[in-house]
Amino acid sequence: MKSNTLNRKNPLLSIHSFLMMAFIYIPVIVIIVYSFNDSRLSMSWEGFTFDWYLSLLDNRNVMEALKNSLIIALTSTIVSTVLGTMAAIAMRKLMSKSKGAIAGLLYMPIVVPDIIMGLSLLVLFSQLGLDLGKTTVIIAHITFSISYVYVIVSSRMANMGNQLEEAASDLGATQWETFRYVVLPSIWPGVIAGALIAFTLSIDDFLISFFVAGPNSSTLPIYIYSSVKRGISPEINALCTIMILVSVALIILAQWLLNRGNREEKKTSMLPF
Amino acid sequence: MNKKKWFAVVLTGLFALTLLAGCGNSGKETLNLYSWVDNFDEDMIKKFEEENNVKVNYTNFANNEELLAKLKAGGADYDLIQPSDYMVASMIKQDLLEPLDLNNIPNFQYVTDRFKNPEYDPDNKYSIIYTSGVTGIAYNKKYVTEEPKHWEDLWNAKYKGKVLLLDDNREVIGMSLKKAGKSNSSTNDEEISAAVDDLRNLVPNVLAFDTDSIKQKMIAEEGWIAMMWSGDAAFTQAENPDIEFVVPEEGSTIWSDNYAIPKGAKNKALAEKFINFMLDPQNSAKNYESIGYSNPVTEAKQYQSEEYNNNHMINLTDDELGRTEWLLDVGDKIQMYDRFWSELKSGR
Repeated sequence: MKSNTLNRKNPLLSIHSFLMMAFIYIPVIVIIVYSFNDSRLSMSWEGFTFDWYLSLLDNRNVMEALKNSLIIALTSTIVSTVLGTMAAIAMRKLMSKSKGAIAGLLYMPIVVPDIIMGLSLLVLFSQLGLDLGKTTVIIAHITFSISYVYVIVSSRMANMGNQLEEAASDLGATQWETFRYVVLPSIWPGVIAGALIAFTLSIDDFLISFFVAGPNSSTLPIYIYSSVKRGISPEINALCTIMILVSVALIILAQWLLNRGNREEKKTSMLPF
Repeated sequence: MNKKKWFAVVLTGLFALTLLAGCGNSGKETLNLYSWVDNFDEDMIKKFEEENNVKVNYTNFANNEELLAKLKAGGADYDLIQPSDYMVASMIKQDLLEPLDLNNIPNFQYVTDRFKNPEYDPDNKYSIIYTSGVTGIAYNKKYVTEEPKHWEDLWNAKYKGKVLLLDDNREVIGMSLKKAGKSNSSTNDEEISAAVDDLRNLVPNVLAFDTDSIKQKMIAEEGWIAMMWSGDAAFTQAENPDIEFVVPEEGSTIWSDNYAIPKGAKNKALAEKFINFMLDPQNSAKNYESIGYSNPVTEAKQYQSEEYNNNHMINLTDDELGRTEWLLDVGDKIQMYDRFWSELKSGR
């Protein structure tokens, strides 16, 4: 309500927000529109076509990159969701003074610039003599995804309160049973939302993958980057459009799951970034 | 299920997944090929895989510097790479390449003499040419009515704001050096600064310094006349038939992409087999026609289509190739090139 009255009173504000939105979304819209352009050049509009989406399917390199991206995203999502959730649970139980410091360390990968993450992981892998490939990309993705899962799951847990757990132990549930039948079901939406975010981040990540990728581990973003040098073909636009749609769908799903869980408590929480 | 069992199941699942991810291919010998995007015909790669019962892992880089960085960082096991001419020289210097065994590559005999024994790798000890191109002038007949014959023509006041140059210091300063009749890899201070002074007079004519979308700008007729690589010119002409290409009489720069094997490659023999396979006249005809680059194998002509053989930008004449020069390492002088280049682009 409040924002409505504000809007009516101040046309400048709506103009401002409109311009901001345009600034953010025009490049994305251009990519989507030109993925349907019936011309090999991105410059001029020559008619509508789905051909670029079809030719993507025939392109062995794109399919290989897609396969790599999916294997990497699935594996890193599963591992980081388990580890991130475990971290969130452990941190809640932790009473020590160092809690703040440890939480800070868990947040760190979100704040550290990607390029530094990528470089330090690369240095680490070559020190360990690990061959660059899918495994190193997966490890790298797990590293940064854990933080995001942790943040989402712990914000979900903060809403939960201790009463349920205490009641469960009073009624004779073991620690494991409390976790399995009380804690887990109530943080479940957060866990799934965390997993979806981890998956999206892994599919989209370029910089960190770029540093630690080797043979047989080209992901879609890396493939797109190396294609641009050849001139941006509508095929690349089509690929980007698909990636945008998948990412947006996953983010919306994650947001929806987080809020559905919250609705009973009449609270809405936004993803923290 | 009790707690322990549950964890055991989760952990086993995770390990299984990681293992699965680690070794995707089923024990077949693999060739890890690291090259430019779409640099090979997919059917030819498939044919090589079937004939030898191997798998080719084809990964891409966007430029030579990225390739160099990946090799130097270590850990990535590539068997076959495709550096450009100057990068071959620099990799040899840094001891990053494995010498080739030409006995394993008998089809090397089919490579045209012009591209054997290049200055950047004498005796083909470490590299074999894959494809090449020449920097020349692309122009649109509609606007540039007189055929340009010299680099000088870019300076023509008629083309104010319609000239496109590559965004590359060695190429552009090298062009100005060639215009003055010098080597494109000059290390003489006076020659270089004279060439740069000359370029300052060209700047008012320049629409953009642009390597990546120069083709689009010519096709859309935003630019009338451009300094362009022959391969790109062939591409633009296919889209806009008004575009023509010439190699100026005073000569220009030639570049090549090559096959090379990085030091410590695990599958050197297979990499050599691949090079040999691709140099086979029939295979090469099919491969180059599909990707649209110049084929260094002259015996392949009989297997190639008329259309490909008649494309002047892909099949430059001996005379044109004869007046070109490789860009060679200029040592410390590169700093001078860099400094002049940024001055030039910022209009000082």
